[in-house]
Amino acid sequence: MAFDLRELQTQLDAAPFVSPYPHDLSLAIICDTFRLAQARPPSLADWTDLEQRARSPLWREQVMMLAYVLTSSSLGQETARTLRKGDDATTLLQRFFQDVAPLTAEMVRSNAFRREEFLRKWVRAVDGQWKGESPKGSTARLEQLDYRKAEAEMRRAEEARKREADKRQQALREAEQRAADARGWRE
Amino acid sequence: MTEVFSADLRVAPRANLRRDTSSQRPFIPWAESISADLGHFAAEPDEAAARAALEARLGALGAALRESPYHAATLREAGFHPGDLQSLDDLRHFPFLDRETLASHWSDVPTPMADADACVVVKSSGSTGTPVNVVRDRRDCLHMWAVLRFLVARAGAVLPPRPRVVLLDALPGGLEYSVRLPILLDGALHRISVLRDDAAERLRRVRPAVLFSDPEGLRWLATQRDVPTPRLVLTSAQHLPSGLRAELAGVMAAPVLNYYATTETGPLAWECLRESAPGRFHVLAPDVWLEPGLEEVVVTRLRPSVLPLLRYRPGDAGTVRRDACPCGFQGWTLEHFGGRGACRFVTPTGREVDAWALAWVFKHHALRAFRLTQTGVSHFRLELAGAPASSEAPLRERLTAALRNLGWTARIELDVQAVEAATLVTGTKHQPFRRRG
Repeated sequence: MAFDLRELQTQLDAAPFVSPYPHDLSLAIICDTFRLAQARPPSLADWTDLEQRARSPLWREQVMMLAYVLTSSSLGQETARTLRKGDDATTLLQRFFQDVAPLTAEMVRSNAFRREEFLRKWVRAVDGQWKGESPKGSTARLEQLDYRKAEAEMRRAEEARKREADKRQQALREAEQRAADARGWRE
Repeated sequence: MTEVFSADLRVAPRANLRRDTSSQRPFIPWAESISADLGHFAAEPDEAAARAALEARLGALGAALRESPYHAATLREAGFHPGDLQSLDDLRHFPFLDRETLASHWSDVPTPMADADACVVVKSSGSTGTPVNVVRDRRDCLHMWAVLRFLVARAGAVLPPRPRVVLLDALPGGLEYSVRLPILLDGALHRISVLRDDAAERLRRVRPAVLFSDPEGLRWLATQRDVPTPRLVLTSAQHLPSGLRAELAGVMAAPVLNYYATTETGPLAWECLRESAPGRFHVLAPDVWLEPGLEEVVVTRLRPSVLPLLRYRPGDAGTVRRDACPCGFQGWTLEHFGGRGACRFVTPTGREVDAWALAWVFKHHALRAFRLTQTGVSHFRLELAGAPASSEAPLRERLTAALRNLGWTARIELDVQAVEAATLVTGTKHQPFRRRG
């Protein structure tokens, strides 16, 4: 059974994220999903370990957003159908949270691209497939969406821009001076 | 009507002119390709093919957004990255760029300038809100000439070798100049002021192949006899009364092409030339993309520019849809274009004039917003927001002079009031000109 992106997005659009879930509730929702697949869910100690390994202030909100997308759409049921009995929940979750590390809850809530990325990374973590897409196409789309990679590129661009900043300000000042009180360049 | 206003008042701004016009020559192939692409898109019946060709330009736009400090920061804050922009449909998820925002971040929106010497800063009109400083690179400055090649072909006109172009100007001040125009078939550009005594004579001497003007200039033209007929007359989309078109048609047989442009975006669309289809503006794809299905104009610039514009809102109303027009145009058409808030003032003789002919007056004063209301035959109320006290006297002088030029020959009562900008906004669109009664 493949995941249907359009259907998931429609379901999530119809169930907007209104208020944060308590952390305990979020953990319970995620554990339930694994139980439904007859896979062993993470223990409390495993969750503590996951949080410590993540070392990120965003981790708890990512847990909460995962719980939200699992319960507010058919993602939870599809996940339970896709997971295998012997899957190691802790390893799977650790891989997923590493994958979505830069995504904030607000991004997933309000930004269509980051929500799609979040969903796709979850489906990749549970080794699922997307309806109407080849595995190669799904991988390519995730490459396009990958915020972690893009963030690194943007950081590099930002540094290059800073190097150009002084030069640029000077150029602007000169251009403005040339235009001075005149308007309407004509040629 | 124009004789009452002396050119010696010198209330028009100075203009900076580039005299190194030979530097246009390297851009001629580019101008030809712009015109060819516009022609190709205007004849592309397959929407999917047109969209695919437009989407092929999104990669370059994404790269420009990454280079723009404002866009990069804004997108990053909201969790976007330029690579998210893969299709035209993706645009709807991205944040808008409002005119006010562009006004306050004008120096952060441009990408680093490869050739800073060729860039200029122009000030857009303050007539629909805060004036905006707009950075333009050389191609931005020359773009209209490239588009003109396409519009000439569209209107079925044929230009002679070395065509002469006239900017027929009704602004007070009487600014005139002549420059070479290598980018348009080795032509020349002449700015002629209708305020000069010898304007008609000069027009006869120049014999323009193309004439640009505003409605006031066209009205003057319609009163002239024995002036040469250009191959094409162009005016930008202030409200162009059908009566004026008819008046002009009585004098000259040239097609009159009305186009929609803003200082920030450059030309966006042109009004269908069919008489039965006024108010339908065909979009100048692939240079710009105007998002369909909205009730306002939202522009994304798809041609390279120092100023990348992503979902820019110039503040004009209108709805865009895919169109196969009987005029032969295939593409996207802007309808219900009402953003410019058409308004007619009535002169003491009962003649109606386009209130937007006064818009230029406000372009040269620092102010946040204004509203000019005709409250009586020769009574006007001017509400100003954010204007320094020192600007009131020169603004009053310019406006009074401009009104005289339009036909208010007797004493004009002008009541100037300082107001908060918020009080001038009604609905989504600021309407700077109104008439009571």
